[in-house]
Amino acid sequence: MNSQTKKVMVIGGGIAGLTAAWELAAAGVEVALVEKAPFLGGHAIQYACKATDTCQQCGACGVEKMLANVVACDRIQVHLAAEVASVSGDGPFTVALRASGSAPAGAGACGAGYDADPQACAAGRGYSVHNGVFYGPDGSFDPRRVAAPADTTVDAVVLATGFVPFNPAEKPTYRHHELANVVTGLELERAKRIFGDVRRPSDGRLPARMAFIQCVGSRDERLGHLWCSQVCCPYALRSALATKHKHPEMDVTVFYMDIQNTTNSFGAFYDQCKSALRFVRTIPVDMYEAPDGAVRTRYMTEEDGAPVDEIFDLVVLSVGIMPGADNSALSRTLGIDLNGDGFFARPDLLNTSLTGRSGLFVAGTAGGPMTIAGAMAHAGQSAAAVLQYLGRASR
Amino acid sequence: MTAKVETAMEQIEIATGVLVVGGGMTGVETALQVASQGYAVTLVEGGAEIGPGAESRPRGALPDGADLADRVARVRASDRIEVLSGTRLDAVAGLAGDFRAWLGTAEDVIERRFGAVVLATEFAVKPLFLGYQLSPGKAVIGQSDLENRLAEDPAAFAERTVAFVVGFAQNGNPLVMQRVFNSVKALQAAGAAGVNVFVADLKVADDGLERCYREGRDGGALYFKLKAAPQIATAEAGVTLTFPDPVLRRAVNADADLLVVEEALEVTAANADLAAMLRLDLGPQGFLQADNIYRFPVATNREGIFVVGASREARSLAWALTDARNAALRVRELLGDGKRSVPRDKAVVDIGKCTFCLTCYRCCPHGAIYWLAENKPVISPVACQGCGICASECPMDAIQIGGFRDDEVQGRIGAALADVNGDPAIVAFCCQNSALAAGEMAAQFKMPLPAGLRLVQVPCAGKIDLQYILDAFVKGADGVLVMACHPGNCKSERGNTYAGWRVEDAQRILAGAGLDAERLRFATLAANMGSDFRAIVVDMAQKIQELGKVSQ
Ligand SMILES: Cc1cc2nc3c(=O)[nH]c(=O)nc-3n(C[C@H](O)[C@H](O)[C@H](O)COP(=O)(O)OP(=O)(O)OC[C@H]3O[C@@H](n4cnc5c(N)ncnc54)[C@H](O)[C@@H]3O)c2cc1C
Ligand code: SF4
Ligand code: SF4
Ligand code: SF4
Ligand code: SF4
Repeated sequence: MNSQTKKVMVIGGGIAGLTAAWELAAAGVEVALVEKAPFLGGHAIQYACKATDTCQQCGACGVEKMLANVVACDRIQVHLAAEVASVSGDGPFTVALRASGSAPAGAGACGAGYDADPQACAAGRGYSVHNGVFYGPDGSFDPRRVAAPADTTVDAVVLATGFVPFNPAEKPTYRHHELANVVTGLELERAKRIFGDVRRPSDGRLPARMAFIQCVGSRDERLGHLWCSQVCCPYALRSALATKHKHPEMDVTVFYMDIQNTTNSFGAFYDQCKSALRFVRTIPVDMYEAPDGAVRTRYMTEEDGAPVDEIFDLVVLSVGIMPGADNSALSRTLGIDLNGDGFFARPDLLNTSLTGRSGLFVAGTAGGPMTIAGAMAHAGQSAAAVLQYLGRASR
Repeated sequence: MTAKVETAMEQIEIATGVLVVGGGMTGVETALQVASQGYAVTLVEGGAEIGPGAESRPRGALPDGADLADRVARVRASDRIEVLSGTRLDAVAGLAGDFRAWLGTAEDVIERRFGAVVLATEFAVKPLFLGYQLSPGKAVIGQSDLENRLAEDPAAFAERTVAFVVGFAQNGNPLVMQRVFNSVKALQAAGAAGVNVFVADLKVADDGLERCYREGRDGGALYFKLKAAPQIATAEAGVTLTFPDPVLRRAVNADADLLVVEEALEVTAANADLAAMLRLDLGPQGFLQADNIYRFPVATNREGIFVVGASREARSLAWALTDARNAALRVRELLGDGKRSVPRDKAVVDIGKCTFCLTCYRCCPHGAIYWLAENKPVISPVACQGCGICASECPMDAIQIGGFRDDEVQGRIGAALADVNGDPAIVAFCCQNSALAAGEMAAQFKMPLPAGLRLVQVPCAGKIDLQYILDAFVKGADGVLVMACHPGNCKSERGNTYAGWRVEDAQRILAGAGLDAERLRFATLAANMGSDFRAIVVDMAQKIQELGKVSQ
């Protein structure tokens, strides 16, 4: 082992950042993990299990495990609610951090018991039992576990700032928020995790007819989004199948363009989906109010183009993976390019963890759409690239 | 609640050589990465060449302009990498840190010792003519054939009309699709008169594919998405495809000079042999990795055996190389500097009690038990995952697991029940990989839980002995829950299955003893689902409330 301990900053504490931090720490590197939100785990720590009788390999519980590894590791120093203000140097880099402005829910989270306000409690405790170590008894940060933002000198930086789910406000005819029972895939995931089941936001009831609309915001020429988000078919189909399995009486419809694969078991999985769910190959875009909180939509049938009017109790927009909100700012701060889609550019076709600048690496969806499993593998590759850069890879 | 395990450690020496099986680009990259960490690598390839010559990804599925040859040169130049081409892996024995492999060359069989094995096998490219009831001919060719012809003589496609069928004879994947998209663009560049693609689903879930598809479409290619393959009539001069047109609402015909039939990228028969030789769980479609999140990304059920690239999935070269780098990390973590400190008591066989029945050897999902010449089972502390399945299955109770010895667990059951006052007492045996975290989440989030609920941690549900369940009732439980991972989510593959069986056995015993079998339940859940934990225990508490406390 190299006698001089190296230090690496990982920006972003989603599954990619967690994995990169953990792999680096396991190789003896000190890690500063900087997360903008008041909790670790990113998007995937908010997802529900999608098992039917059997696990559907969605990967969500794996995030829980990686988070447990990270919070138990004393080589990883965690900065929550922090972000990068400036970076100087060419390796080593001096990074100035500042408060991001987000804050934990503070006192009150779970104070009156879970059922008083499940959403606030779950959010206030960072959705996971493992984030609990970061909060003191009053729900604010425990200074022994959450490092204050400070200038830090590091030998390399891993960018793992992730993605943002598509914001349906950009497609106003879906009337997300305006109609209470039009929700995004992320909102559905969160609700299933918090309540343990599907619920209609308007009245908390179980829907009798539920629809998933695929490709919302992805593969969309008008928006200039010429990419498949890769994760929304898997998550929507798994979620739809799990829901149907739990409530066999429910009607579940999937509106789609093309169905993307899940894992190597896709063939068997898709057969199950085809017998349990109704697939309609078209993407409805207009949502109207219907009685009793329901949502009416119109589309043309695939077979003969006939117009159809249908009513659903709950409509789920399968929103996809969009470039992170801070990408352009970070691109300027760090001096690395974005690609035409707005993700961090990865110029080396054979090592997609490398940026154009030495000492700076990218991990996970910051560089483009990928699944949890993909983000873990990608972050492992990023950690390997960092180790090679630091010259620590040789024993 | 979490058991703190104090264990004595011992230092052992392990082998640090690494065997890489498969000399395609993934195997080459694995060898380079592992060697760059200072380990000696033996790269075994059945064919004569390594690198691009051994790579099974067809040219249409390789990234344009990537320098593949350079990596081969680096392998050749490395003094840490021994390349054995024209060599078979004949047999492997041993465990992580101490594998023994027999490598068959043309002349000889070489025996070597390795600390770790990385499998970088390739796929077989299989044309799917039969799936369309076609045979190859002048007007009908396979995707590989097209790619080769386009590379050799693109001008031959000028003014020709080409049709593709893809996704009807298999589900397909982005790699299959990428080849079609690339060929479409190459045909356009060659001046083809028209390109029609008949497709079930566009599999565009990989980097850049949607854009690649659109470029071809913008260049004039027509895509017809159909539920079933078009009818295909072949003649000497070309083919006619008939399919329903949703806009015109009738069947229409399209002619093509050439029909290109999709190909599958399948595992080779060698995978099944390797799996048997290495005691690996064969995954769906014959890949060398079970569909289980604990195997993400490159692990197998056996410590020290890793799978990369085409041995575990049909994906792009970039992702295969990602695997190679992950495998190098795992190898480093396992082998370190050749000295490992391992717990003395992870899983220990009491040879005095053992009757050499082989049960443990058969049931260990991680292949961590080996048999010494003097007919003794020995558990490798490097390969053992401490699941305890062997301990619970051993008919002689001859195996004890560190931190979870029978006396320790039974002591914990007693202690857990000691402070239940008045409320119906429910013991929940919780797998530490799933139910325990879910239960802690429910408690930390202040979800209302039954007052008499007590959690007892186990390393895997497979460690829940029949005896523990009965013991809990003897010690005063009114109900017992066995809480395991969902099927397919067990780190030890089958721990939950064993637990389910033991619950059934225990239910029969309870019924025989006059207790309602409903007092014992088996449930599965995931680590992230505090709400599921709550639902399960609350439901159980209601049942016990109905049944009342067990009258002693
Ligand atoms: C609704 C939905 C459901 C999904 N379900 C599944 C599924 O079931 N299975 C699956 O495999 N994949 C699923 N995915 C995809 C999955 O979410 C991603 O693969 C995964 O979350 C990517 O992890 P990441 O770490 O790259 O990004 P993120 O999860 O986005 O994490 C990035 C982190 O970086 C932080 N950050 C951002 N900017 C900054 C900054 N400037 N400074 C510091 N920190 C910053 C963010 O707060 C966040 O914590 C789903 C996606 C969606 C939208
Ligand atoms: S479905 Fe997802 S969350 Fe549930 S057990 Fe399987 S991988 Fe874990
Ligand atoms: S994964 Fe499915 S829903 Fe998501 S963008 Fe791709 S095709 Fe559309
Ligand atoms: S199961 Fe028990 S008795 Fe049988 S061989 Fe193993 S240790 Fe010996
Ligand atoms: S404890 Fe589990 S991994 Fe270890 S030897 Fe027994 S069955 Fe195998």
